[in-house]
Amino acid sequence: MLFNSIEFLIFFPIVTILFYLIPNRFRWLLLLGASCFFYMWFIPKYILILLITIAIDYTAGILIEEWQDDPSRKKKCLVVSIISTCLVLFIFKYLNFCSANFVALAQHFGWAKPDKVLNIALPIGLSFHTFQSLSYVIEVYRGNQKAERHFGYYSLYVMFYPQLVTGPIERPQNLLRQLHEEKTLQYDHIANGLRLILFGMFLKMVVADNLGMYVDKIYENPQDFSSLDITLGMIFYSFQIYGDFFGYSTIALGCALCMGFTLIDNFKAPYLANSVQEFWRRWHISLSSWFRDYLYIPLGGNRVAIPRWMLNTLIVFTVCGIWHGANWTFIIWGFAYGVLLIMERGLRNIHIFDKIQNKTGKLIIQGLNILKTFVIVTLLWCVFRATSFGNLHDVLSAWVHNGALASQLHVSPTAWIALAAFVCLDLILKQQRFDRWCSQRNIYVRWSIYAVMIFSIIVLSSVQHYPFIYFQF
Amino acid sequence: MTEETKHIILQLGRKFLLLAAVLVVLDLVYRFTLYPKDRDRNCTLMTYSRIPVEENDDIIYLGESSNHSFSPDDQDQRAISEMIDDMMPEHKVGKLSKDACHAGIYYDMLRNIPRKSPVRTVIVTVNMRSFSSEWIYSDLEKPLQKEQIFMRKAPALYKRMLLAFKAYAHWSEEERQKLVRKGFEEQTLKLPYYFPYHNAAEWDKAIGQQDHLFNGQKVSWDTIALTCHYIKDFAYQLNEENSRIKDLDKIVKLCQRRGWKLVFHILADNMDQIKTLAGPDLEFLMKQNAQYIVNRYQPEGVIVVNNQFMVRDHDFFEREFPTEHYNQHGRKIVAEAIVEAIR
Repeated sequence: MLFNSIEFLIFFPIVTILFYLIPNRFRWLLLLGASCFFYMWFIPKYILILLITIAIDYTAGILIEEWQDDPSRKKKCLVVSIISTCLVLFIFKYLNFCSANFVALAQHFGWAKPDKVLNIALPIGLSFHTFQSLSYVIEVYRGNQKAERHFGYYSLYVMFYPQLVTGPIERPQNLLRQLHEEKTLQYDHIANGLRLILFGMFLKMVVADNLGMYVDKIYENPQDFSSLDITLGMIFYSFQIYGDFFGYSTIALGCALCMGFTLIDNFKAPYLANSVQEFWRRWHISLSSWFRDYLYIPLGGNRVAIPRWMLNTLIVFTVCGIWHGANWTFIIWGFAYGVLLIMERGLRNIHIFDKIQNKTGKLIIQGLNILKTFVIVTLLWCVFRATSFGNLHDVLSAWVHNGALASQLHVSPTAWIALAAFVCLDLILKQQRFDRWCSQRNIYVRWSIYAVMIFSIIVLSSVQHYPFIYFQF
Repeated sequence: MTEETKHIILQLGRKFLLLAAVLVVLDLVYRFTLYPKDRDRNCTLMTYSRIPVEENDDIIYLGESSNHSFSPDDQDQRAISEMIDDMMPEHKVGKLSKDACHAGIYYDMLRNIPRKSPVRTVIVTVNMRSFSSEWIYSDLEKPLQKEQIFMRKAPALYKRMLLAFKAYAHWSEEERQKLVRKGFEEQTLKLPYYFPYHNAAEWDKAIGQQDHLFNGQKVSWDTIALTCHYIKDFAYQLNEENSRIKDLDKIVKLCQRRGWKLVFHILADNMDQIKTLAGPDLEFLMKQNAQYIVNRYQPEGVIVVNNQFMVRDHDFFEREFPTEHYNQHGRKIVAEAIVEAIR
C-alpha cells in the first residue's frame, strides 16, 4: 500500500483508532496483522520471503544468546544467519544482475552461448528489512540486545508497517523496546504525528512529483533538451529524490508517532552540508549509521593506517552503492563517493581560507562549501538516476553539446513554487523537525500552514502516478 | 476511560471539526479559482456533456473511434453520427465520442448532460470487444478513469483529492498483464458441444503455439497473431457479472429516469475474417453474446440494433489487428441500420 493512496487514507485511521481501543496485550497482534495487510497489498506472495528472513534471524538470535558462553558456536551461528539472510537478498536482488553480466561476458568471449537472462521480481523493501534483521542478530551477538523470545514481537520489529517498505532502518534497542511498552493516548503524539504526515505528503506529492515529470522527460530523451534544461533537470532530480525519500520517511515517522512510537530521524538538511562527509551524516542517516556500525567500524574504521582506511572507505561506499541497486551505475555512484571522501580528507590539511576571520568572510566560505557539496551531490545523482551507462552517456553528452539549443523545458509555475517552498522550509527546519517547529507557532500561523499544505497536496499535486523512488531498493 | 483520555478525545474532536471547516473553505476557494481550469485540462469528457445543450441536439450519438473515418481513400469523410444527422433532417444529431470509450464512460457523460437539454434520443455504441478483459484492463483505461473522477457528482475539492491520491486504476504494466490474464482464466467457456479449451487463455496459448489454423491451413506468424487477438477480444460469455453489463444497466435506468429513448447499437465486427481465422467456435460465442444484449435489454424498452454481421471484410480499414474502423461504405451501412431502427 502506498502512503499517498486513497487506500492508506482509510487504512491508517482505522489501524490507529483500533490500536488505542484494544487492550495493550493484543496490540502487537493488531499491528502485525495490519503490517501483513499493508505489505500484501503490493504482491501477497512476497510475504513468504519476509517470513523466511524473519524465521532465520529469530532462531539465530535465540541460539546466539543460548551459546553466549561458547564464542566459537556463537560466531558460527552469526555467520550462518548473516549468510542466509544475505543469500535471500542476493537471490532476489542481485541474481538477475549477475546472470545478465555473465551472459554478456559469455557472449563477449564467445563461450557457449547462454542467451537466457534470469528475471526474478524484486520484493518491495527487501534491502530495508534485510538490514533491519541483520542489525538485530549483530546486536544480540554483541550482547547489546536480549534475544526476543516472542515470535510475534520479533516479526513486528521487522514488519512494523510505517517503516517496512523504505525505512528508516531501525535498531532493536530503539524499536523492539518500544513495541513492548504500553502506549497511552497522548494529544501531542497524535498532533505531532499528523503534522509529520502532512509535511511528508507535501514533500512527496507537491514537491517530488511535480519535479519528477520534468526529470523523467529529460532522462527519457536527453538529446531533445538544451544544456540549461539538463542542468535544471539534474537540480530538479536532487530535490525530487530528497523530497520523495524525506517525504516517505517523514510520513513513516508520523504514522508511528500517532501510536506513540518514535523512529529515527532519517534526514537533517543534507543539502546544507559543508562537505561530502557531512552530507552522509545528514542523508539517509539510518543507512549511513548502519554501514558505520556494522561494516566501517568492524573493518577498522579510521583507527588504522591511511592506506587501510582508504580501502575501508572504498569498500563501505561501494557496498552502499550495491545496496541501492543491482546496476553498474549504483556501484560507480557508491565508489565515487568513496573516492571523494578520501580526496576530501587529503585536502583537509590545506588551510587556504584560515586567514579569513571576519563573520561575512566566514559566511561566504561556508556558502561556497555548501554550494560545492551540492554540485558534487547533484552530479553524482545523475549517475544514480541514469537507467544504464548508455543513458548516462546520452545525458552527459547532451549536457555538454546542446549548449546552443533553445530551451524545450517549460516548467510550470507550480513546480517553481513547490521547489522554492521546499528550499525555504529546508532552511527554516535546519535545526528543528517540522512538528516541533510547528507546535511553537501560534494557532493562526499553525492553521494557516495546515490550510496551505492541505490545499497544495490536494490541488497542486501531480495527477501522474509516481511510485516512491526508494521502493525499488 | 480516564478523565484525561476523555479530555484528549474532546480536544482532538474540536480540532477535527476545525479541520472540517477549513476543508469547506478550501473547497469554496478551489471551486472559484483553479477548479474550472483544472477540470477542462483533466477532463475533456466533461466539456462533451455540455455539447447537446450548446448545439441544441435532440439525438445524441455516443461512440468511440469507430465513429470516424480512418481511410484517406474515403471520398466521404463523414462520421457515422454525421451520416445519421444527414439522413434525419428533421432531427439534430450530435456526437459525444472519444477513443477507447466504453459503457462506463458513456454513463458518466450522459449523467452530466444538463437536465434542461433538448436531448430525446440516445444512441449508445456497444463495442463487443469492450466486454473482454483485454479492454477492461486496457492501458487506455487509466486516463479515462482519471476523467471519470471529475465527472462525479461531488464537491470539487473531494474530486481533486481522489485524483491526487490516485483513486483510479494505476496498474503497472506487469500488474495490468496479470489482471488481463486472470480475466481470461477465470471464465470457463461453456459451449453446447465438445470444445477442447477451458478458457480464452488456453485457447490463445494453443493457437499461439501452432503454425496452422483450425482448418489445417498453414499460415504466417502474423496471421496466427491476429487470430490470437480475436480470441483474446471475443472469447468470453456475457453475464451480469461483467462490469460493462453493469454499466449498460445503469445507462438503461438513467435513460428511463430522464425519459430518453435509448438505442444500443452493436458494432459490426469483421466476421468474415473471424470465421476464416478462428472458426465456428468463436463465431458461436460472438453471436451468443450479441444475443445476450438483445435479450437482456429489448424487454426493458431499449431498441437494440444488431449490426454484428452487417459490414463485410473489404469494408474494414485495418487488416493486422481487430478494430471497428470502417471505410465510407461500412459507415454508411451502419448509419442506415440505425436510422431505420429509430424511425
